[in-house]
Amino acid sequence: MRERYKRQSFLGSDSDTVFANCIAGLVGLGGGGSHLAQQLAHLGLGNFLLIDPDGVEESNLNRLIGATAKDVARRSRKTFVARRLIRGINPLANIASANKKWQECHQLLRGCDVIFGCVDTYRDRYELEITARRYLIPYIDIGMDVHSVGDQFSISGQVILSMPSGLCMRCLGFLRDDLLAKEAENYGAAGNRPQVVWANGALASAAVGMFTQLLTPWHPGGVSTPYLEYDGNTQTIVSSNRFECVKERQCPHFLGPHDLGDPFWIPQRVPADLQK
Amino acid sequence: MRVIFKITRALLGNVYDDLRRTHPFAAERVGFLSCRVGALKPDGWVILAHEFHAVADADYLRDHSVGAMMGPDAIRKALQVALSREVCMFHAHIHGHCGHPWFSGIDLRETAKFVPDFWHVRPHMVHGAIVLSHDSVAGLCWHPQAPAPVRISEFSIVGAPMCLIRELK
Repeated sequence: MRERYKRQSFLGSDSDTVFANCIAGLVGLGGGGSHLAQQLAHLGLGNFLLIDPDGVEESNLNRLIGATAKDVARRSRKTFVARRLIRGINPLANIASANKKWQECHQLLRGCDVIFGCVDTYRDRYELEITARRYLIPYIDIGMDVHSVGDQFSISGQVILSMPSGLCMRCLGFLRDDLLAKEAENYGAAGNRPQVVWANGALASAAVGMFTQLLTPWHPGGVSTPYLEYDGNTQTIVSSNRFECVKERQCPHFLGPHDLGDPFWIPQRVPADLQK
Repeated sequence: MRVIFKITRALLGNVYDDLRRTHPFAAERVGFLSCRVGALKPDGWVILAHEFHAVADADYLRDHSVGAMMGPDAIRKALQVALSREVCMFHAHIHGHCGHPWFSGIDLRETAKFVPDFWHVRPHMVHGAIVLSHDSVAGLCWHPQAPAPVRISEFSIVGAPMCLIRELK
């Protein structure tokens, strides 16, 4: 084990190899995704797929880990900032990136072992989860929101692990048709979405903990809950009561063989060296 | 070329449970995994196991030169699954040891005989075979355009904990 990972050797004698072999897709490299990129690089993740269509703006500097004022001036891509951040920590990491909406390059996600979703909308989460399930990829969703309560504010958020064959985000009550419909009605009027660095960081840390527990469990309990709720006012993260209510159920949403793989199999040409 | 085989931990548990049962006369059990496939960029496939289909006791032949010999009904039933469910099929059996398994000469000979039959019902798809040990797995898949089977380079056992098995390059 390399010197840099000895302090986390309790994760297993081969944990450095496990992380070095793993491929994680990070969809969204803003407040949440930039924390994830940094922590996963420190953890020793060997292979990154970074997807975000946006460039760095002034309004990102309150939370975008690794971004500088120069990046705003240069309109650096968020994928560029994340790549620089990861390379600075782990020069050996393999990094692929796409400056596109994830829906325009979703084929790239198929080769991932885990997908982290740090997206803004329920619609994106819904579609990302379907994509992940289709290719048997665990999907870890993080997100935060600030709600006004009278003249006060409430910060909340979630970390959800949607594991193939486990409960999905619909089962957990996080995705609902009424929320998707309401979001669609307000499309284009989202306005200024409040985001703060410490809440993003808390959620990303919990997500990386969940990911680590998944790959290199350090105690027999494993991933004890797939749904963590963050209360930014009390600074607590607890297992969601929604999960407690449905944990004995089976997910009925992704069952048939046609929920897996390419919807239509187009015969692939094999590489020339393998052809008859 | 990258070829990934993914199976959930729950389904893999079912496979082990079935294949470890004793048979009235065969020395080991075999079965089939019905799978779907996705294309990988720039080239490769991800094979996604969906369901295990045990070979019925009556569909084994008495042949003491091998651990298990499937009869024609076993193959016919597997072909029927491939046809009716639009899936590709992977033969599965266990070698009773720990560590990285590999196919015996008899495994390779017999598998090469029946796997191409699946192209009669599901042409263009990849079909193949996996061999399990107590703690690892290896496999081959056949593509209609390739003259020889392609080694499955990566296995992902999806669940908690995740297990990623990569072929050494």
